[in-house]
Amino acid sequence: MTALGSVLDIFKYRRKETFLHSLDPRSKFLLLVVLSVASLALNDVFSLLLLLTIEIVLLAISKSLNEWIRSLRGLAMLLLMIFILNFLTLPSGRLFTSITMVLRFVCLTSAFSIFFLTTTADELANALEVSGVPREYSMMFTMSLRFVPSLAKDLQTVIDALRSRGLELEGGRIKERIKNYTHLLVPLIVYELRRSLMVAEALEARGFGAVKKVKPYVELRLRRRDYSIIFISLAGLFMLLWFILSGRYAMFTSAVRYLFPEF
Amino acid sequence: MYLVDLRDIYFKYLGDEDYALKGVTLTARPGEFILLAGPSGCGKSTLLRVLNGLVPHFYEGEFKGEAYVAGLDVRSTPTYALAKHVGMVFQDPENQLFLSSVEREIAFSLENLGLSRNEIKKRVNEVLEIFGLEHIRHRAPYELSGGQQQKVALATVMALEPQILALDEPTANLDPLSALEVLTLVHGLVKKKGILAIVVEHRLEIALRFATRMLVMNKGHIVADGKPEAILPQVRHLIGYPPVVIAHLLLSRKGLAGDGIPLTPEDLAAKIIEVVKWRR
Repeated sequence: MTALGSVLDIFKYRRKETFLHSLDPRSKFLLLVVLSVASLALNDVFSLLLLLTIEIVLLAISKSLNEWIRSLRGLAMLLLMIFILNFLTLPSGRLFTSITMVLRFVCLTSAFSIFFLTTTADELANALEVSGVPREYSMMFTMSLRFVPSLAKDLQTVIDALRSRGLELEGGRIKERIKNYTHLLVPLIVYELRRSLMVAEALEARGFGAVKKVKPYVELRLRRRDYSIIFISLAGLFMLLWFILSGRYAMFTSAVRYLFPEF
Repeated sequence: MYLVDLRDIYFKYLGDEDYALKGVTLTARPGEFILLAGPSGCGKSTLLRVLNGLVPHFYEGEFKGEAYVAGLDVRSTPTYALAKHVGMVFQDPENQLFLSSVEREIAFSLENLGLSRNEIKKRVNEVLEIFGLEHIRHRAPYELSGGQQQKVALATVMALEPQILALDEPTANLDPLSALEVLTLVHGLVKKKGILAIVVEHRLEIALRFATRMLVMNKGHIVADGKPEAILPQVRHLIGYPPVVIAHLLLSRKGLAGDGIPLTPEDLAAKIIEVVKWRR
């Protein structure tokens, strides 16, 4: 549970005063898209390392390096698995490709963590609303993120209650375990249904749904820093596309293979 | 005119055997602080839900009788329209606060009404000031203490400037001191703004001092209605006596305290001093 918790930490917003935190969610989203495209499109160790360096710089700017390193430690097992599975199943170029796969995974996770570490759920919902998504749906999104910790707490409460009555959830045979998990799931589902009713009541009591088109309290505005990030992201994307489509990237990767034949 | 005017209300939740409310008649005016007490399952929460239309709009069932709140017919007015007139706060702050900062939380209710951005800003600042929440306006609600969370929950509904506050066990999850703070705040709003507060509360020792009127329910009926001092002895079997009343009972039997039921320790002290002085 703790390992999983520290991994999820990589996507948990933390309030800080930095350049990235102050950006409009829409420009950060574009940055996320470009970084993800790059992590998926590139497939050699050197260019992925370059991408990772860029992401580390961005994480440093958002003062989130510590959280990132801590989460990577939690991810270590998964990274090792990716490496080993690739290494054992690939026909050739095993070391090179396995390292590439691990790096790609790290790059992709880091891209998402840059976004989620610096953007709150309601900023995101706000951006969705401005982009024309109905308030019901953006609210659904905010809520689903908001209630994750509550759900974890409820789960723990039910587990504790079951344990105090002598039910051991871990151990036992598979059949036994599955039966025990139904003991866990039924009260949890009932619990959450009741909670959702209470949340719905509270929403009604605060006038939710009174008007269709609302004016968000926080006005999203693209400032000069947003335009510069949008420009840099798009420029990066076009450079990447040009590099790949013109065949230069293929030349680069074959040169790498040629230089390091032992990989 | 009455702010709340309920006439012979019956309500049965969909799928239930028995009525939750059985012929409830109630009128209330601005400036009242009504303490609503009674054993669990007596219909207190259902009665509150009638006030902002959660019953019968959100909770379906069989509804009989006439209900007018702030001049609106509850039966034909949706909850979001009643929300402007009736601010409702529930027991658990966790299920009422959804957003990432106190300020946005308050703005959320106002956004829902479709107000302009300037108006929202103005009201958010006003409410933050009234509730003394300016220093935590950028904090996330889940980082706050229970008492602060419940204050924020109050603030979010007070931003709508309701004439009625309906609170369903607002202090159930709070420590005694925070509970006192929250109810003091509500009392202040009743005094200053002349609103009507209807508070469901089990902690009589904290809530009694504020109540101008007390309602006691049992099995869907209102069984007592009046000044707390007057009705407490009638409903002792239902809600018990708060410790201060028991202490007074013991003392007055020995002739150590004056007559009449005290609602706070201060009242009791005064009654003791009265007797002791007279003896000298």
